[in-house]
Amino acid sequence: MNAILEIKGLKKQFGGLTALSGVDLSIEEGEILGIVGPNGSGKTTLFNVITGVHKPTEGRVSWRGRDITSLAAHEISGAGIGYTFQQAMAFPGLSVWENVQTACEHAHRSDRSYPWTTPAALLDFVGLTTLANERAGVLPFGSLRLLGIALALATRPSLILLDEPAAGLNDKETATLVGLVQQFPAHGISVCVIDHDMKLMQMLCKRLIVLDFGSKIADGPTQAVLADPKVLEVYLGGAL
Amino acid sequence: MNNTLSPFRSLVPALVALALLALVPALGPSNRLLSLAISAGINVVALYGLSVLFGQTGILSMGHAALVGVGAYAAALLARDTGVGFWLALPLGGIFAGIAAVVIGVPSLRVSGHHFVIMTFAFGQLLTIVLTNGGDYTGAATGLDLQLPVSVFGTPVDDLMPYYYIVLAFVALSAVASWAIINSPYGRTLRAIRENEKLSASLGINIGRHKIGAFVVSGVFAGVSGVLLAYFLRHISPGQFASFPSIYLALMVMIGGARLLLGPLAGGILVSFLPEVLNLDPVESRILYGVCLIAVILVLPNGLIAGLLEGWQKLFGNAAQKRADNASANAKHAPEAGR
Repeated sequence: MNAILEIKGLKKQFGGLTALSGVDLSIEEGEILGIVGPNGSGKTTLFNVITGVHKPTEGRVSWRGRDITSLAAHEISGAGIGYTFQQAMAFPGLSVWENVQTACEHAHRSDRSYPWTTPAALLDFVGLTTLANERAGVLPFGSLRLLGIALALATRPSLILLDEPAAGLNDKETATLVGLVQQFPAHGISVCVIDHDMKLMQMLCKRLIVLDFGSKIADGPTQAVLADPKVLEVYLGGAL
Repeated sequence: MNNTLSPFRSLVPALVALALLALVPALGPSNRLLSLAISAGINVVALYGLSVLFGQTGILSMGHAALVGVGAYAAALLARDTGVGFWLALPLGGIFAGIAAVVIGVPSLRVSGHHFVIMTFAFGQLLTIVLTNGGDYTGAATGLDLQLPVSVFGTPVDDLMPYYYIVLAFVALSAVASWAIINSPYGRTLRAIRENEKLSASLGINIGRHKIGAFVVSGVFAGVSGVLLAYFLRHISPGQFASFPSIYLALMVMIGGARLLLGPLAGGILVSFLPEVLNLDPVESRILYGVCLIAVILVLPNGLIAGLLEGWQKLFGNAAQKRADNASANAKHAPEAGR
């Protein structure tokens, strides 16, 4: 196995609140890793620290052996880590086409062959071609999620972090999303996904990590993790 | 996509307005009216720069008159110390003001929102203090006289009429320049930053550099406006570039609206001519400006022109529903691109 992203002893405190208390984890090249945990367990904070939105209190993030802990958000994007947001996934005042066009124009240069280098290719992939001229602000929620994915893909990432990509989607839209995400590894994009939807996680991820109160309590093959009594206690309060 | 035509359409109303303004001297206006028009035009040049900063990037500068001042003092000092005249002073004044914008922008844009507004205000005051204490070099509180005439092809221009046309040409130039910036990929990136900084950064956009860039662009417009002002007034002093002129510039761009191409033109003309039309003294006009600003913020958050357009669509919306539907499909494409 070949880890592309390694996190060691990551701590993040907001005033007196500890959001992450010393998390170690690694993301392997070409895998789809899932991170689950109750609300407030530190999942989004973890993503925010990786992507440079927040600076960690302690610990380090290495990307292909290089320390990226102190980089700014746009530099981390330039290093090849893409990110989709839970809310505010696109620029509401720009058209769908302009959204993707803007993202393409700021993509970092890379030599690798990559299928989605143009707005047309991206919109075709996520199925938004017919909505290209619509203002992003008027899109239905499901389409907005897909646009968010197109924007992250435009940056030509080698790793994409998806923050609750299926939240607010119906079953059909979720299935579409799963179909898209499953194609990423074949194009050299590893995936790390946060979601509450266990069905989605079982479909997507071979490996699962569980966070609780800012600590990692389980890490392993999805089925084994879901059968772990510690994990059941966190999710079901030990009632089983 | 089908957005090859619509950006040009947004240029038309401003060009029509400018063509009408070119006819003004034919009406035989008084000298007073003409000089009022010239100073309005000089402000409009700076306003087109502010419209890029405020309208596209969403950053408000409350010290913009200081950058106009940099251009004006550059013109006066270049004329006095190096003999550089009007035409060369124009680009140089723009460059100096652009450099000043870097100096102000780099520390100020580390903070955002209200803090940035206060920083620009402080820098504006700072410039006034520096100019006032500059001794003989800056002429202290008395200021400087412009020692060279404006000449076109070797013929000195000492009449208001030709200077009106020179200023109008620069108004047209700055309108077209700001339109070109707004409709470029750079302008679109600025709008993206205005709409969502976090998302922009996640796409690899360097937010700080782009904000400073927009501030510098607006500074260049301000510098050119300053050179025009210096050669128009023939005498400049620090007080002209202090806090009130800065507030007026911000007021003009807010009243006219920063996102439509007609906005800066309308704002500049309205604020310059309103006291004259209503026959108000300076104190009364300041009160009026205050009332106007509050009214605009409450009632017309996108400025007068955008407000009029909305009202028009409401009034005549049903009659022209089908046409409006087509138009809005295009307008949705780039609602800030101006029309």
